[in-house]
Amino acid sequence: MKSYTKLVSTIVVFFLGMGFSLNTFAKIGSCNDPILLGTTISETGPFSTLADRWRKMTEVFAEEMNKSGGVFVKSCNKKVPIKFVIYDDQSVPATAVSLYEKMATVDNVDFFVGPDWSSMGGPVPPLADKHQIPMVMANVASPNLYDRGLKYIWGTPFPVVPRWSERYFEMLGSVDPKPKTIYFITHDNPVMKGITGYWSKKAEDQGIKVIGTETFAPDTKDFTAMLAKVRAAKPDILYISSFDAPSVALLQQIRKMKIKAMDVHHAMLSGTVYKQVGDDIQGMTGELPWYPGVKGDYSEFVENVLAKSGVNMFDYIFSLGRIASYLTMTQAIERAGAIDRELVKNALYKGSFKSPAGNITFDERGFPNNGAFTVQMQQGGKVVVVWPKEAATGKLIWPSPSWQ
Amino acid sequence: MISIEVLAQVVLGGILIGGLYALVAFGLSLIYGVVRILNFSHGTLLAVGGVLASTLYATWGVSLSLMTLLLTPIFFAYGYLFFKYLLEPLSKKNHFESTVGTVLVTVGALLIMSDLTAKFAGPAQKNINIQFDTFEISGVIVSTTQIIILLGIIFLTLALHYLLKLTWFGRAVKAVTQDPLGAKLCGINSGKIKATTFAFGSATVFLASILYALSFPVDPYIGFGLTVKAFTIIILGGIGNLPGALLAGIFIGVAEGLTGLFWKPEWAPALSVILLLIILIIFPQGFQKSK
Amino acid sequence: MKLSYINNQMVFLGSLALLGLLGIVQFANAYLISFVFTILIYYILAQSWDWIAGEMGYVNLGHYCFYGIGAYIFGIFLVEGYTSSTAMLLNIVMTSFIAIIISYPLYRLKGDYFAFATLALLPLMEVLAYNLSSITKGGDGIVFPIQKVSSLTYVLALVLSFISFILTLWINRSRFGYALRAIRNDEEVSEVIGIKIFPYKVKVLVLSALFAGLAGALQGWQMSFIDPGSVFGLNVALVPIAMVLFGGSGMRWGPLVGVILLACIQQWMLVNLKMLQTTIYGLIILCIGRFMPGGLLRAGWIKKTKFLSFLSKEHHEYMTDQLEKSVIQSDAKQISLQDILGTRTINRQILILECEHITKSFGGNVALDDVSFKINQGEIVGLIGANGSGKTTLFNCISGVFKPTSGKIRFLNQELSGKSRDEIAQIGIGRTYQLPRPFGDLTVLENLAMPLMFGGEGMSPHEALINARALATFIKLSNKEMVRSDSLSLQEKKAIEFGRAIALRPSLLLVDEVASGLTPIEVNQFVEHIRTIRNHYGVTVIWVEHIFSALTQVVDRLIVLDTGRLVADGPLAEVLKDEKVIASYLGNAKGVTNA
Repeated sequence: MKSYTKLVSTIVVFFLGMGFSLNTFAKIGSCNDPILLGTTISETGPFSTLADRWRKMTEVFAEEMNKSGGVFVKSCNKKVPIKFVIYDDQSVPATAVSLYEKMATVDNVDFFVGPDWSSMGGPVPPLADKHQIPMVMANVASPNLYDRGLKYIWGTPFPVVPRWSERYFEMLGSVDPKPKTIYFITHDNPVMKGITGYWSKKAEDQGIKVIGTETFAPDTKDFTAMLAKVRAAKPDILYISSFDAPSVALLQQIRKMKIKAMDVHHAMLSGTVYKQVGDDIQGMTGELPWYPGVKGDYSEFVENVLAKSGVNMFDYIFSLGRIASYLTMTQAIERAGAIDRELVKNALYKGSFKSPAGNITFDERGFPNNGAFTVQMQQGGKVVVVWPKEAATGKLIWPSPSWQ
Repeated sequence: MISIEVLAQVVLGGILIGGLYALVAFGLSLIYGVVRILNFSHGTLLAVGGVLASTLYATWGVSLSLMTLLLTPIFFAYGYLFFKYLLEPLSKKNHFESTVGTVLVTVGALLIMSDLTAKFAGPAQKNINIQFDTFEISGVIVSTTQIIILLGIIFLTLALHYLLKLTWFGRAVKAVTQDPLGAKLCGINSGKIKATTFAFGSATVFLASILYALSFPVDPYIGFGLTVKAFTIIILGGIGNLPGALLAGIFIGVAEGLTGLFWKPEWAPALSVILLLIILIIFPQGFQKSK
Repeated sequence: MKLSYINNQMVFLGSLALLGLLGIVQFANAYLISFVFTILIYYILAQSWDWIAGEMGYVNLGHYCFYGIGAYIFGIFLVEGYTSSTAMLLNIVMTSFIAIIISYPLYRLKGDYFAFATLALLPLMEVLAYNLSSITKGGDGIVFPIQKVSSLTYVLALVLSFISFILTLWINRSRFGYALRAIRNDEEVSEVIGIKIFPYKVKVLVLSALFAGLAGALQGWQMSFIDPGSVFGLNVALVPIAMVLFGGSGMRWGPLVGVILLACIQQWMLVNLKMLQTTIYGLIILCIGRFMPGGLLRAGWIKKTKFLSFLSKEHHEYMTDQLEKSVIQSDAKQISLQDILGTRTINRQILILECEHITKSFGGNVALDDVSFKINQGEIVGLIGANGSGKTTLFNCISGVFKPTSGKIRFLNQELSGKSRDEIAQIGIGRTYQLPRPFGDLTVLENLAMPLMFGGEGMSPHEALINARALATFIKLSNKEMVRSDSLSLQEKKAIEFGRAIALRPSLLLVDEVASGLTPIEVNQFVEHIRTIRNHYGVTVIWVEHIFSALTQVVDRLIVLDTGRLVADGPLAEVLKDEKVIASYLGNAKGVTNA
């Protein structure tokens, strides 16, 4: 009896203690404390492969912004520094949920930025509404996650599905010889399937016939069967709708199979791909939300942050989504003129914000309109922006020589 | 409708990738056959090896042969020590405790290895990007890299197989597997044999990881998935049967390819599991090689 | 369902804990609720896993599959517009159904193969979730309608956790639990003492799957989103299992302690450390595995710390406590062997066993070749023959362990050919094994009590244990009643083997070489036992024995086998003179000793 009682009482006291004795951080909305931005990053676990060095990048972002004093807040009549509260969600949604609850109720953060990925973009947003804390998510790209009637969420994935290949298909409308057929290879992932679904329709509208579409499971290593079908179909354009990492094996095998086309297009051509596939990706086109060298709002600031944290945006293309969420939030706070959740929420609603890749404009669901530039990998591993013409850093070579 | 070239291409691809699967399973077949331990960290060792090899190659320009020379003994030593200090003491306990203990130890090892690798080498995906030419034989494209890998696998299979068959070590391994007490009475130190087998298995895993990283991207987290696949293959091929594992791997590789060709590619990963389940239901003891 | 195992103390403390935890919903912050919720879900998963692993000894590495299946079934129906109660009900029904279906193929596997196969189910489920996208919405995942259910799911999870704990207590004390433990130790012997094992295996799988499925549904509901990776992912699937093993599988407090400790450690690290949390977590698990492989609660230092020692009580120790209490209370009257075995009047005219042309071959090896004989009620028949002559094979055929290749066996005019082992045991045929096979991790008393629990209408475990004391006295092991049987000597194990066999109340007992390795006094004791059970309790006995002096004291008749064939069958004196018998078994005249 004695031991039972002792143990159970200990447990109960422990839990009650955890409930009440957890100290609180700064007061919410105070002008004398840094603005607290709470976020989780998938630093470990399967998603961490995409988020290398983001903690450092986030901390450097704060450092650099605070060098000039921070964010100007009208109601405080001064610049207030920002501070990120960062936890590792270990790529597990339940863990993320519990950490966001902690940030909301224990750490008393002012606002939320992040998280990334659909798995998190499902469970975490309802917390924003629950605690009425504005949340600008980063790389959450599935439109249906914005359709849930939540009022406190926005997101900055780059680019969004309806604008993903907009410039690419524009470009295709102007090239000669005209491509007549297109074949889609899709990575089984909601975003990529969304892209294929949307853009295959657009292709047809534009008079390019979709002669085949194949989907591959995320861990697929052997594409022989699929590529055999592609080779037999002889499409003018081969459109690879896939995250960069899972497509590495595919690209290597496309080369080996000596597939020929006018162009091989990759929806997520990144440095990760280049590092692993090397010069085999020469002649491919892709889209990038942004590329160092392309001038835009905050581009110097962002280049600086990237350089200081050792993050190469071409390698880790999702980094822009992250940084954009931070930029958006800080601009919204400034626009709101106060460290006030409701005012910031109003500032974010259908707002338009600056970023190196152009303006981010949210619709009423919090879904942005981010576009991308069309690029081509040319001789010597050089990434050349080829469309739109105003932003182009080089000339498009058509048809792509290495695919003949 | 589907031309003979396409079929041949797919079958060839299946053989080549199947060989790679078998490679992943090799170390496990050897280890499991002798020490009968479910080593959950097996695949992670391959992931670590792959990341290590890729990093050495890409960042420090270490050649493949140098890498093999330097690291194989290290992995050998790792296997030996891991078994000797972590697993062997458990085998002396009762059945329940030794089973539980090995599960916890290998799961713990899995977590530690993948986390440390991600910390020091970075979590991002890597590979060894050496590409050889491809050549075409009557409409079928053959990659030199893959041929080299396949030859490597076959060589490893035969080498290990004959090593076990013809050397004293191999016979000792057999004795220990069949009758540990009897082997002891014959003067065979079964603990040492088991530890050496584990070490060999680990060294094999490293060699496999180099070949793997030549073909596919690796990151610190692919381990457990590979372990599951490896177990599937060793059961299909017969535990302890190395040539059997090779054939099982090839069989799965070809079957997956044909699934992709005649049906849908997204079902290919499910195939090996379904095959495993069907086989186990018909032959609940797996394919046991008669000893 | 008798709640006698829940005594007043526990009710009091349980309510206290319940109130404390419920109070959290009212007063504490959302973070604590969400964290405790995760602990509750882990606990439900951990405990339900341990019913199969800790109690029955089957390691189901794919347990998490049912979590995912439950989450998906619930989610699919919720999104289709069904009410949450309907969706939950459908979840219960369908998950149970799936568990039943899957148990048929799955239970053909044992040991490591079972573990492999269940592990392989996880990636299979993930692929199914991805590809059956018309039902599961594939990689998009299922987006639940946003509902404020955090308190509701918390309370439901709390209730479910309590039910899991109470169920564990029930299983520990019930026949169901004993059946599982018998299966864990030795499936063949379980059947031979009359337990029909397959239904128990299915039931425990369904129970386990059910709880896991409910946990999945609850957590999915709370998170309002599920996708294939988050419910079937290999990176989370082993966590509840590691937690149980960490705490101590097969113990009352093991899963709970394991879950609470590891979850709190992990959360603490997530909040306070910036890196290497997983490495440290892995290191802790590895060290426990290496140094305290029975689980934390079985470690020596826990047992020695007064404050904590009650946590390391094993199940049989609880039973022992309860038993001792009843014995002290002495309302358990002294039960005699007579009470258990009853009396049977012997009618020597009745044919109890008839074997007609029994042949058993294994591939090319013919172990029994056209063996026929008849045995009447009340006989003690000796069965002798050189080693390898087929005696144990014959026993195995009669008890149903093997099916004869051809021939018929009739017991009291019932044909045995269609019957399963447990049915044969239930109609009254008991046997012992040459190498004793007691249920190793159960005590002497529990071993003896098993057939009492499962024979005929069956007694409750408590009653059976009290009755079993009479048997323990009979086999002279009453001073070791509460000792685990795997720690006993060979002779003691043989005694348990014998005692357990007669606990079945058989009318026919097959005794297989029970006297070898015993001292002459012990041998004589045995002979006395055999005589007693025939004379006083009417049991017919067939006795295989090499210690000839033992046989000759008590047998009416001898049957002799030689390389599978019956070469002699008759009264003792006659058979001894038979030349064939002398040649094959007894040796020449000089070798024969007469006790």
